[in-house]
Amino acid sequence: MISDITLGQFFPGFSPIHKLDPRTKIILTTLFIIEVFLADTPLLLALMLLTTVIMIGVSRISFAVVLRGIKPIFFIIIFTAFFNIFMTKGQGEPLVHFKIITIYKEGIIRAVFMGLRVIILILGTSILLTYTTSPISLTDGLEILFKPLKKIGIPVHLFSMMMTIALRFIPTLIEETEKIMNAQKSRGADFSQGGLIKRVKALIPILVPLLVSSFKRAEELATAMEARCYRGDKNRTKLVKLTYKPLDFLWFAMAVLLFGGIIALRILPGHISPDSLIYDILFYKV
Amino acid sequence: MDVLELKNVSFVYSKGTPFQKVALDNINISFEKGKITGLIGHTGSGKSTLVNLLNGLNKPSEGTVLLNGKDIWEKPKEISKIRYKVGLVMQYPEYQLFDETVRADIGFAPRNLGLSKEEIEMRVLEAAKFTGIDDSLLNKSPFELSGGQKRRVAIAGILAMKPEVLILDEPAAGLDPRGRREILGGLTEYINHNDASIILVSHSMEDMAYYCDNVVVMNKSRVFKSGTVKEIFSNADELNDIGLDVPIVAKIASKLKKSGIDLQGTLYTVEGVKEAILNYIMEGKR
Repeated sequence: MISDITLGQFFPGFSPIHKLDPRTKIILTTLFIIEVFLADTPLLLALMLLTTVIMIGVSRISFAVVLRGIKPIFFIIIFTAFFNIFMTKGQGEPLVHFKIITIYKEGIIRAVFMGLRVIILILGTSILLTYTTSPISLTDGLEILFKPLKKIGIPVHLFSMMMTIALRFIPTLIEETEKIMNAQKSRGADFSQGGLIKRVKALIPILVPLLVSSFKRAEELATAMEARCYRGDKNRTKLVKLTYKPLDFLWFAMAVLLFGGIIALRILPGHISPDSLIYDILFYKV
Repeated sequence: MDVLELKNVSFVYSKGTPFQKVALDNINISFEKGKITGLIGHTGSGKSTLVNLLNGLNKPSEGTVLLNGKDIWEKPKEISKIRYKVGLVMQYPEYQLFDETVRADIGFAPRNLGLSKEEIEMRVLEAAKFTGIDDSLLNKSPFELSGGQKRRVAIAGILAMKPEVLILDEPAAGLDPRGRREILGGLTEYINHNDASIILVSHSMEDMAYYCDNVVVMNKSRVFKSGTVKEIFSNADELNDIGLDVPIVAKIASKLKKSGIDLQGTLYTVEGVKEAILNYIMEGKR
């Protein structure tokens, strides 16, 4: 079913991560992404993996649910791994050499490394942001973070309102799609058989009603907003004012520590003899 | 004879996630052939879920659904054949219209059935007749029609499959009294003509009392009670206990009875109660 997609779905809860200010989470997520890309040695990657696992534990969202979120990107991981294995040229003897297929040790290491990196990236960002932040507070946070842009004439509030509305209606649209699909299935429509053209044609009975009802809904929403005197952010106040709490500062501190550690571990190799065994274990460059 | 039968059927939404919800809990009911069976219950009592199981849109988590004594999920690949035999008109079916003309839209299901052009045209005309769609509308776009007309076209789209069992989920919701009577009246005609059975989901106790032979009452994912209309509506207190109403005339009749006026007869339709009261008065005069 369509509703089984969990990537980017909010799981309500009361864990320390859920309680963080959305702005904190947005900043930390950005930091997390940078950290994952800075992590270019097995040690650093292991550190990021550990951080992610700890965060999953703290969020109290079950591992099974979190892992299900990777399913949609599984293909991408396999795809990149495939190319990394077969396309990477390494030094020394290849592990396998059969006709046009040549596999080097470096290729395999790189494939594993990249795969892990993508998984950590998806898990970390979804735990920090999408799984634990309601769409409404997410856009609230974004609006405030981007407020300075208003000075150069960017209508930040309108963008965030558009985003809120878009996010708000994703579940509605999914539900609606499912309903329409069921209705057409009840009339004998078949979406899973036939060639490409036949399948694309089979989508028409879904897309037309979906489009019609979306336009209708947009119009109704606009009317409803106008009826309540909505006119952008002029004189508009917030129902929930965002404030940083001690918990937020704690997380900021931890994030900065992690970031500093990663930078340190990246600079450090220059000060250890590249020939030593420790160097190889810690700083194997991919 | 029973046309549809549910044996120990349970259904769970989003099994294994935090959103898991039991929608149907060990349901055992059967629907008599050639009869109109009403299905009543609160919103969220599991009516729509039940209905989606009957034509194979969803597979029961446990238990079996039998059509003419055969498990509909015996051959999962041929489930679409079941959908032609058990026609389902969903709630607000006008949202499923998509084709360029009313004629083409009603003909969607017959086309999917792979019928000949003549046969399709015949079925379209027949279905239009049962639902009271004027011939002059057939070449119009379904999006030009009024709400009530759209509803009829959508119902005609299911009737055109000539299903053995016709399931209607709130077919008269949002229609004026006259539109109600015409649509529901047309359905009675349909089953007399085609030796079919009807399952009618509705909130309107008046409609139930007037059109149905049997009634199934759902409450909190279970079957609360089932029986003939008389059996169900003659016990107003029981229905009141779970927050459901009986037809207003049935209420009046039961109040009169409680105050010592001994009424006899069909005490749930306007006609029946009228007769009972008149009889009572006449007897008193004698």
